[in-house]
Amino acid sequence: MKKKYIRKISDYVVAGGIGALVIAGMQGCEKKSDENAFQEASQVKGAFVVIEQMENDGYTIVEEYPSATTRVVVREKDGTERILSKAEMDKLVADEAIKIDNGTSSLTEPSMSSGAPGLGSILLSSVAGAMLGSYIGNKLFNNQNYQSQRRTNYKTPQAYSKSNDSFKKARSGGMKSGTKKKSGFFGSKSKTRSRSLFGFGG
Amino acid sequence: MVDLEKVKPLTGEFLESIGFYWHTDEDKSPYIADELVKVTQEEADAYYEATNEIYDMFVEAGEFVMENDLLHEIGVPFNVIEMVKQSWDNDVNWHLYGRFDLAGGLDGKQIKLIEFNADTPTALFETAIVQWALLKVNGMEDRLQFNNLYEAIKENFKRLVVMGGDTEDFSKNYDGWKILFSSVRGSIEDENTTKLLQSAANEAGFGTDFAFADEVEFDGEEGIFKGEENFEYWFKLIPWENIGIDEGDLALILREITENQKAIILNPAYTLMFQSKAFMKILWDLYPNHPLLLETSYEPLEEKKQVEKRVFGREGANTVILDEKNHVMAQEEGEYENFAPVYQEYVELNTDADGQSYQAGVFYAYEACGLGFRKGGLILNNYSKFVGHLINN
Repeated sequence: MKKKYIRKISDYVVAGGIGALVIAGMQGCEKKSDENAFQEASQVKGAFVVIEQMENDGYTIVEEYPSATTRVVVREKDGTERILSKAEMDKLVADEAIKIDNGTSSLTEPSMSSGAPGLGSILLSSVAGAMLGSYIGNKLFNNQNYQSQRRTNYKTPQAYSKSNDSFKKARSGGMKSGTKKKSGFFGSKSKTRSRSLFGFGG
Repeated sequence: MVDLEKVKPLTGEFLESIGFYWHTDEDKSPYIADELVKVTQEEADAYYEATNEIYDMFVEAGEFVMENDLLHEIGVPFNVIEMVKQSWDNDVNWHLYGRFDLAGGLDGKQIKLIEFNADTPTALFETAIVQWALLKVNGMEDRLQFNNLYEAIKENFKRLVVMGGDTEDFSKNYDGWKILFSSVRGSIEDENTTKLLQSAANEAGFGTDFAFADEVEFDGEEGIFKGEENFEYWFKLIPWENIGIDEGDLALILREITENQKAIILNPAYTLMFQSKAFMKILWDLYPNHPLLLETSYEPLEEKKQVEKRVFGREGANTVILDEKNHVMAQEEGEYENFAPVYQEYVELNTDADGQSYQAGVFYAYEACGLGFRKGGLILNNYSKFVGHLINN
């Protein structure tokens, strides 16, 4: 039961996938049809990625989480944040695909790297990019350079391993055949109320 | 005087887009205040230190309650007592999160513990997300808030697996145990608070699912199921005392399940002991006159302004404020009169220019990790408002 205090007040707060919704909502680009922010929270179909511009104008991946839809936040050097639109992402992926074909992408040809990775190659290093760019997937995923290069495009090794943890979810479901299961508890409590059934003191 | 900064409020439409539907109270007034409490860095640090210190005292006092068999005395329903003991004895029962309600902390007023909502604390969404969004929308720097609540809970989920070890080792040690999240059908606040926690667990790397409590299937020998799928963890945003009192059969099955080690339940049953307001009396016995504590007794205090509460009351219900001569100064009716009373020394909350009272809520997930405020009259009831904060020296 002994606890140790390991961290002080955080320097930066990213409220996970919900943080992306907040930023998206602020910019008015969230569809109103998104009736429940948590719908299918457990069904990973996309990724929430925070990309940060570095001092040398290159980009790096700071955070990455699974989420129901793909959203990429870009934080520029001056502190402004924006969400990449689908069209922007598609264009970045398409442009990078051309570079890959020409052998000029730093993702597959590290020797072509000019030092500061551009937004397109960083996006494709992220899980989100890999999902968006699945049509060029074979060009990338079978490329050894891409695999080793990806890791270096994360700001810290922790950011990379955290990202890998999040996406590596086990899905082994235990089956059972028994018949003694009981259910229906708290079914009768159902009076509809917008606030908590148990109050804030709880 | 509580110092406030007026801000542009978040619209209902925006709040709903992020899943926060309970933005308007029944009297149509906004639940989220359009101002932020200005807190200095030193005040934020003091809330952090005090909360960590109080939690340590809770752990020590919890050990004392166990050794001296005081669970019945502090009002824990008889049919969950065994689960409380068993959960305390086994470290796999990790306390995910709780919220301390504190008086003082601003304007040089001493911080005092009012109570610990250790089992099913609400105001999680407001503290972790909404007040942060207020900073964002108002173009304020988001590091100017004592708030790494969401991240801290994510880290604490990982500790279910790594325990005292390094959370970086989560993926090495995770062998696929899944968490089923449940709330009682009929409250969008409970449902989305639960789903916010589910998102945090998901992002931590757990396999998860959600089911309303009435859909979950329980089997003493086999464990906890949604449909045919077995879950090793069950998170329930349902107070343990309600399980004991309203659903005695469920309490029995859960006891069997935990004894057979077929599932781990979150928050653990021992949080009910922390939640009992009678626990405050135990603390006072063990740490008399501690500056962070208020004198608390099972009997009315002599010649003191005091608050009479019920051991498991909520939302200020069944709370009476008595003056030095035991005259009633303020009173809230409620449904908790069957629980035993405790008497806690009265402490004045910080107030603003309009005479509104402010109570700090500091979340704890392995350490203190997020601050928010609740504003209202003398007794904070279900019409009290949530007020975010801003660190501003």
